[in-house]
Amino acid sequence: MRASYLIARREYLSYIATWGFWLSILAVPVFAAIGGALPGLIQNSQPTRYFAVIDETGRGLDQVVEQGLEAQRREAVRDQLEGMVEVMRGEAAAQEVLAVFDQDPDGVSYLDEAVEAAGLGEAGAALGSERRERVMVDPPARDMAQLRPYLTGERMIETPAGERALFAALILRNAPGAPVAIEYHSTNVTSDSVKNAVRDILRSHFREQAFMERGLSPADLNAVMAISPDVIEIDARPGAEAGAEITRADRAPFIVAIAFAFVLWLAVFSVANMLLTSLVEEKGGKIIELLLSTARFHEILIGKLAGVAGVSVTLFAIWGAVGGGLALLGGAVLAGMNPAIAELLASLFDPGLILAAMFFFTAGYLMYGAIFLAMGSLCDTLQDAQTLMGPVIWTLLLPMFFLVFSFEATDSVLLRAASWFPLWTPFLMMARLPTEPPLWELAGASGLMIVTTVLVVWGAAAVFRQGALRQADADSVRRFFRLKKKGA
Amino acid sequence: MSEYALELDGLSKDFGGKPAVRNVSWRARKGDITGFLGPNGAGKTTTLRMALGVITPDSGTARLFGRAPDAAGMDQVGFLPEERGVYRKMKAEDVIVFFARLKGVPAGEARRRAHVLLERFGLADAAKKKVKELSKGMAQKVQIISAIVHEPDFIILDEPFSGLDPVNQQLLEDIIREQAEAGRTVLFSTHVMEHAERLCDRIVLMARGEKVFDGSVEEAIGRVPRQVVLAAPPGEPMAETLAPFGALETLEEREAETVWRLTLKAGADAQAVLRALVEAGVKLTRFEPRRPHLHDAFVALVGEENVGDVTDREPVSEA
Repeated sequence: MRASYLIARREYLSYIATWGFWLSILAVPVFAAIGGALPGLIQNSQPTRYFAVIDETGRGLDQVVEQGLEAQRREAVRDQLEGMVEVMRGEAAAQEVLAVFDQDPDGVSYLDEAVEAAGLGEAGAALGSERRERVMVDPPARDMAQLRPYLTGERMIETPAGERALFAALILRNAPGAPVAIEYHSTNVTSDSVKNAVRDILRSHFREQAFMERGLSPADLNAVMAISPDVIEIDARPGAEAGAEITRADRAPFIVAIAFAFVLWLAVFSVANMLLTSLVEEKGGKIIELLLSTARFHEILIGKLAGVAGVSVTLFAIWGAVGGGLALLGGAVLAGMNPAIAELLASLFDPGLILAAMFFFTAGYLMYGAIFLAMGSLCDTLQDAQTLMGPVIWTLLLPMFFLVFSFEATDSVLLRAASWFPLWTPFLMMARLPTEPPLWELAGASGLMIVTTVLVVWGAAAVFRQGALRQADADSVRRFFRLKKKGA
Repeated sequence: MSEYALELDGLSKDFGGKPAVRNVSWRARKGDITGFLGPNGAGKTTTLRMALGVITPDSGTARLFGRAPDAAGMDQVGFLPEERGVYRKMKAEDVIVFFARLKGVPAGEARRRAHVLLERFGLADAAKKKVKELSKGMAQKVQIISAIVHEPDFIILDEPFSGLDPVNQQLLEDIIREQAEAGRTVLFSTHVMEHAERLCDRIVLMARGEKVFDGSVEEAIGRVPRQVVLAAPPGEPMAETLAPFGALETLEEREAETVWRLTLKAGADAQAVLRALVEAGVKLTRFEPRRPHLHDAFVALVGEENVGDVTDREPVSEA
């Protein structure tokens, strides 16, 4: 025990007392934030697409496009306003604010009043002022020969932001059998956003026209277009109150469980890697021989697993403290404005989920940690280790694909079957927990996982013993599988 | 209470059907300095691993302090393996304290002993330096200190002199003697016979996985025929005069003299050879009785083809 404790302590301090550890702690939320914001960042970092529409039909379709763009912009601002007020003030307040905004049914002239009514202050002031994705400009020329230099960037168009290249030119022509033909010119062959936006606007326009030609007034048309079923989601799960509607708080455990599964995976992957690199360093640096003269194999194995487990507990404690603190602090503020937020945040602290996460992390960590330790004991260099890591990395990566789809398909037979595979159980069963899988499934898969954990640790200890004494190495594994192949 | 620190009886070990150690038995008496000698691949490391219970023998038994190797026994052993290293990112002093604590020394005492030993080994200034900042020789001294810091009753050093410069080799020899004088048992392996000859009370020789000799240094040397190197002007009756004493071979023929080597028969005496030559009126220009060394004994015992990397003297290493 003494040796295991001292080895664990040394292992723990060797990580905790480094700048790298603290930087990595900081890096995870930073990278998570970047990852979360990445789609938005990519979208926002796209340059504004300036395009021109040349209407050869004489039916004023260029103006239709321009008005359609404005309407789209109005809808976007309205959606943002609604979302913001709903989170901060609740659904009823959002409807009141939208009533103010909708006093101008075609534009955003009541935006300031709506923002003031919502009491959004600074946060609301930015609404509607953000950069536009697409801007329609007057065509600098009417035929393609003259337009081409603008599209290739040889000539520039004047915009409020300065001189810019023309992203696309759309020529609208009459066509037999179709309301209009759109000829789209651009040097960018992958981006469809301008083409699709113009096509959608014109399609809506021609459909409205068709309806009106068939005798519908604009008011009728609006009324028809507004027809939509009213969906009420009732929670029919056992134990739910009769007629209780499904709220965001009801969905939160599913999201939280999947998030926990991702965090478990991330933690197992990073700390198991720590074990591998630490052992390769000790083996390559001939330290393992000196350790073997002072401690038994199992003491070294337990010490290393415990030391790195301590590192992961520290990671969780810091992330938990910071995340929990922020959630409590932010939650308290938001809950004052919208009680639904408090319910949502409460699901983060579900003791059942936290206990399950601890159980699955322990099993996952022991299985993968022991495997990585065994691999490390066979290798003198990280290059050696990389050749052995491939199959384990793939085994560890596959449950990620299941996790990505698990929210929409929690009842998938494939997901249920995959969660029985002991090396995946910690992540997939964690994600399935809020669906309340049958007890026999939970107990069976967990039992199988525990048995596998014991077998893996036992096998890893045997490999570790051979590797540490240099009686086996990375080549032994290759020879073993070659023999198996020949035998087969 | 056993009078031996280590007792090995009939140890054998195969790896993949290939015998590494075959039926090896010997004992290390408490307080002795024992040399464990043999070329690479002789089975020394495997024998030591079995002795410490790191690997299990296929047959035979090993006893540490009279009982099977266990945790309590291991705490009384200081082992410096041949393949060794220390945590490069740790400070020298911390490495020593870590290994001392693994052997049960309380933290404060471990640090005190680390200071004393670092001073003794001339490393006081390096105590707070990371091992990666030390020279190879300095790092090796840190490893040696780590093996003895817990003041073990039994010290096993596998090739402790390799990598040390002559000054530090001498320092280590002094330390080994001090440890033995303090009543500790020392067992060390080396491929440099000079160290073993100077230090050991007794030696155990291994070759091809088997023990080929077990006894005192004098006994080992006694197995080697003594030799005399002689020189005399050409034409002297050397062959006739020396024939009764042993085999004569010419080493060198010069204009003024010829140099011979006489390998004495068992029981023959160098003084009798000198007397016979004087009585025969031989004009000797050189008469040099040669004392055999442990290296000669080693060659005689294991055979020239099995000497491998074993040398008479250590090539000078950089510190």
